[in-house]
Amino acid sequence: MFVDVVPAGHSVTIHFNGSAIAAREGETVAACLLRAGVTAIRHTPVSSAPRLPYCMIGHCFECLVEIEGQGSRQACLVDVQDGMRIWPQDGAAAILNDL
Amino acid sequence: MTSDVQMQPPPLADLRMDADVIIIGAGPAGMSASVALAQAGRRVNVLDMQAAPGGQIFRGLEANLAAGRGATALLDALGPAYGAGAALIRAFRNTPGIDFRPRHTVWEVRRDGTVGWLHGDKAGYLRAGHVLLANGAMERPVPFPGWTLPGVMTAGAAQTLLKAGRLKPEGRVVLAGTGPLIFLLAEQLRRLGVRPVLLARTDRMRDQMAALPHLRLPAIWPVAKGLGWLARLHLARIPVMRGVTGIAALGSTHVEGVRISRGKSMSDVPCDLLIVHDGIVPSVDLAQAAGLRIGWHDALQAWQPETTVDGAAVPESGAALTDGPCRILISGDARCIGGADAAMAHGRHVAAVLLGAKGEGRDSLAKVRQTLVPRPFLDAAFPPGLSAALPTGDTLVCRCEEIPASTLVGLVQSGLHSINHIRGLTRCGMGPCQGRSCAVTLARMIAVQTGASPVPFHARPPVRPLPLQALAYLSGVDPRLAEVVSLQDKPQVMQDV
Repeated sequence: MFVDVVPAGHSVTIHFNGSAIAAREGETVAACLLRAGVTAIRHTPVSSAPRLPYCMIGHCFECLVEIEGQGSRQACLVDVQDGMRIWPQDGAAAILNDL
Repeated sequence: MTSDVQMQPPPLADLRMDADVIIIGAGPAGMSASVALAQAGRRVNVLDMQAAPGGQIFRGLEANLAAGRGATALLDALGPAYGAGAALIRAFRNTPGIDFRPRHTVWEVRRDGTVGWLHGDKAGYLRAGHVLLANGAMERPVPFPGWTLPGVMTAGAAQTLLKAGRLKPEGRVVLAGTGPLIFLLAEQLRRLGVRPVLLARTDRMRDQMAALPHLRLPAIWPVAKGLGWLARLHLARIPVMRGVTGIAALGSTHVEGVRISRGKSMSDVPCDLLIVHDGIVPSVDLAQAAGLRIGWHDALQAWQPETTVDGAAVPESGAALTDGPCRILISGDARCIGGADAAMAHGRHVAAVLLGAKGEGRDSLAKVRQTLVPRPFLDAAFPPGLSAALPTGDTLVCRCEEIPASTLVGLVQSGLHSINHIRGLTRCGMGPCQGRSCAVTLARMIAVQTGASPVPFHARPPVRPLPLQALAYLSGVDPRLAEVVSLQDKPQVMQDV
């Protein structure tokens, strides 16, 4: 659905749902996942419907994912980091066990 | 409302101040105000959700300029209005006295000058003599059948992906809606070699004819620019349809097409990406949760905070979490939609007024008025289209809790006219977005029945989700300010019950 405007160096690797994805330093998790062609960033708690980012500026909360064990993170507000582990948020966010 | 609870606010002189002014949002308004204030020796804290200054209009500009040749094609496509932010961003970065705190989400603002922030796992309060809300605008919510399908996104989202993600759409792209932004996006995409299969416009020629009497000299340049974009789209033979009355996204797990209605005729257009836009409206979440007065703006069909020309906010009557004078000001698109130039002019004006410079305040106000001159024309020429008719049937109103229009219409028609009661009964507006996407639709449904102006949900902090761990270790808490405990801070509930 999205491609690089100009060829970009992908020097960072993130993991979404267990798969490695090459990422550009400085891009958001949401932008990276859209470029990677992810078909659903989460599934809703009510009807399990698939969703992808909608507003990209932190208003709509459609891009909620689990990052490094913490649920309900807005993927459009978080920059990629090398080795970052991201999971789709399927249903409601889980509560951290080690709180 | 009378009270048996004694609220004794401490004298503010006693409290530790973190800055002279806290500014929320490092967009055109926030940056302009902070530069002017810091140049005059004031200590300014600037909080922004993003990693770099610029706001949405100048999003990613700093990084794109630093990227050199790699981003030239992108900068060319985004155009001179985007590059124009460079000088302001440089001044913002280089003026001593500005304490810029990127990646800070604000979840509470109090009238006494207290601001609740969240940064990663840490949260706390900051306090200043004045708080300036410069948190900008959001796109008008447009509930239509299928608007939650993957592959449907807003024009602002597509622009953010261009500016910050350096990504452009591929495949069959349909743009639908109205307003200058969607025309600009279509033209930017064309410059990048993306040919939308259709630009479906809801505005009609008669809207522009009706807007003509509002056209004033300072508006000629923006209007000419807009006509230029449309002319180039026409020359490039990008199909444009006018007078669209409604759309529906087709598909089950991803958008596969869009059904376009024009009056009674309908046509289906296959697509891989549906980009929608229905104008922008002020972000009133923070103002509202701070207990400031919000009014319905008929021409804009949106809520707008009530302010003086100098940006001073007006406290809602009734009790609040804090007492004493209201220390909140509002500037830029968060105050009234005017675009980047108007936001910069108003940010400078607010700073001039705070600094007490008399002649300066008058000059800066004249500039504010001048930059707002094109608005009445633009509002009339591109009226809300996709959101004009209220949704019905299965169309989701609340994206988070997946509440269809039929449920809400049923309640409203049964005589329930309190938006807060409907929220309590259905969870509409109780999901993570806290009503940002559904409030206006539900409020309009109620207004149709009551004949009154749409009233928003009663909002209380935190207006954005706050991890419990962050809440448990809040910094900057002043026990004297945290002591107000009373049902009085729920005036809406008291009134409804």
